[in-house]
Amino acid sequence: MRHVVGIVLIAAFIFYVLSLVSGLFIGPDPEAVGPVGRQVLEQSTREAGAVNTVTSVVVFYRGFDTLGEVTVLFLSALGIAVFFRAGGESANRAGTSGPAGNTEECGAPGFILRTGARILYPFFFLFGIYIIVHGHLSPGGGFPGGVIIATGFFVAILTGDRFHLPEGLLTVLEGFAGLSFIGLGLAGLFSPAGSFLANILPLGSFGTIFSAGILPLLYAVVGVKVAAELSGAVGRIYLDPEPVEEQ
Amino acid sequence: MVGPVLSPILLILVPLSAAFLIVLLSSVLKQHGPVLAFLALAAEVVMAISIYPAAAAAPIEVVIAGVRAPVGINLIADPLSMLMVLVVVISALLVSLYSFSYIRDEQKSRYSALFLLLVTGAVGMLLTGDIFNLFVFFEILCISSYILVAYHRGGLGLEASIKYLILGSVGSLFILISIGMIYGALGTLNMAHIGANIDLLPEGTRLAAAAFFLVGLGVEAAVFPLNSWLPDAHASAPSSISAVLSGFVIEVALIVMIRVAGSVFQITQVFPVLMVVGVITLLIGEFAANRQPTLKRMLAYSSIGQIGLILFALSVGTPDASSGALLQVINHAAAKSVLFLVAGYYIMRTGSGRIEDYAGLGRKMPVASFLFVLAFLSLIGVPPLLGFFSKFSIITSALSAGTVPSLFMAGLVLVGTVVEVVYFIRVMQVLYSSRQQSVSIESGIPAGALVSILLFSLAFAAGAAILTPLTQAAGSAAAVLF
Repeated sequence: MRHVVGIVLIAAFIFYVLSLVSGLFIGPDPEAVGPVGRQVLEQSTREAGAVNTVTSVVVFYRGFDTLGEVTVLFLSALGIAVFFRAGGESANRAGTSGPAGNTEECGAPGFILRTGARILYPFFFLFGIYIIVHGHLSPGGGFPGGVIIATGFFVAILTGDRFHLPEGLLTVLEGFAGLSFIGLGLAGLFSPAGSFLANILPLGSFGTIFSAGILPLLYAVVGVKVAAELSGAVGRIYLDPEPVEEQ
Repeated sequence: MVGPVLSPILLILVPLSAAFLIVLLSSVLKQHGPVLAFLALAAEVVMAISIYPAAAAAPIEVVIAGVRAPVGINLIADPLSMLMVLVVVISALLVSLYSFSYIRDEQKSRYSALFLLLVTGAVGMLLTGDIFNLFVFFEILCISSYILVAYHRGGLGLEASIKYLILGSVGSLFILISIGMIYGALGTLNMAHIGANIDLLPEGTRLAAAAFFLVGLGVEAAVFPLNSWLPDAHASAPSSISAVLSGFVIEVALIVMIRVAGSVFQITQVFPVLMVVGVITLLIGEFAANRQPTLKRMLAYSSIGQIGLILFALSVGTPDASSGALLQVINHAAAKSVLFLVAGYYIMRTGSGRIEDYAGLGRKMPVASFLFVLAFLSLIGVPPLLGFFSKFSIITSALSAGTVPSLFMAGLVLVGTVVEVVYFIRVMQVLYSSRQQSVSIESGIPAGALVSILLFSLAFAAGAAILTPLTQAAGSAAAVLF
């Protein structure tokens, strides 16, 4: 009974809120694009030089937000590193390696699965890089491309390949990519343009790989960062860290 | 502008790059991450101090990516945001000094990186002029707080962190809904631009969007009834983190909340409601603090009380009251930090969180305990400490507002103060009792931590001496608010 009352109350509240904002769920009407959206559509090819307007918005007009989003991802990976740190309380995790415990329950991965996965890795990598590099030309970019590269890494974990987490490499990539983003932005700040993330490179010829100034560079950095952080986040949960060499 | 100044965007970029650098160099730096963080925060304080005079003279607008607002994102450094940035970065610098000796496990480089990101989030929230960018920095602030609350990985910390995470995420979602409604209706995300066009919104949409926004930020600002996460989170976090969470994180959220309500949504008609909410928050916080057997929970509830007081003062809606509120923010940042930082060593030395176990500590750790008492007195508002002047100006300006409800509310604020006195005396009785400590205490507080506590104490102890410039700064900041 209480559940029913609760559901009715919640539904009533939602109905009330929606009745206040009748315009909210009406489909996108091209005439209704706000002043900012219209301005972006008009200016983006001239200012940002990218064929893909979505990329212009994500990396150029709202590049500062993207730096923040990448930071949120970085934070999450850092949080996972804090909670799943090597040694100490990790002893209660099943087996020596996380996925081994799971795979034994449902049968060890067969030869064909493992070999097939190994053949696939380079293609994941290649496809991910393609998506990142063409971010300013076609749908895609740093975020999806980075996820695709990380997916190759997940497949390796899921098929039960045993390897150590290349933690050193991942942290270097995470830090380096973050600093490169800021570095590219600062180059704009200290250039004659005098503004963080200003486009300091020539826009090139519209529609080719070498166009849109710093946008492809920024997106490549985002791609590296997303790939390294997602791999690190999942890897830290499932894999043993690299053995530390004693000197 | 007064001469060439540094770009305020560096205030966001320096801690952020330092956090990335700590992670990049983690194999080289090993346990020395905190040193890098300290240096970055020291640079941050120097920059903030050098930018402040120019921003106080005239607001500085920072254009990002060479695209002017409202199409691009901009930052606004004005007297209010820079005053709060100063509170944030100075507190953060002193707390990082304290952390050298307080945080000693093998993950302290990661702790420093998280701490720097928390500062990045707070500074970004204050400086940004774009409502979606505000959301991004809000997320950075929240997520780093969730992680830091559970940093010790104990059961209580994890429980508190998950509670905080769930409530905080719902709050973030509310903010996002509000931003979506505004963008859907007005097609812009720039706060000044929204503020200029707010009249185009139907009244219902405007109120609904404002309500979502206030509730979302209200969770982080610990406003009643959205604050049930706070006592657990602030009590089970490492004490250095409790100090920043209570010292500036909730205040930053509150100031931003009031600022958005006043200048973006322009819903000053709800301020009387906020005033009542503030007083309820104050009374609930103080009465609950009075009943706590553990010191850190008591301090956490007292933070709820203080946030209620600040909310009350801000929603009186006059420049005088708001300037009193900002003075109280400064006083609370300094005093509550001292209380939490000293409490951290009380707990470390006695191995207990309960107040009754601190018998005689006042003599065993004389300097720290003296500063602890002083901080408590400043929170209560005893002259000649800074807390007296801030509370006094809040009460007098509420009285001079002259409406019957504000008179009544001012009376209730005084009731809250009486409760504060009651639990203060309870703590003092134990600290300076002649009963012997069951555990022997070998050492007091390390020098670095003590210096940090001393410098915090200077802010409220000597605050009265520099009251004129402080009031001026708070006054010009309050002028931005209304």
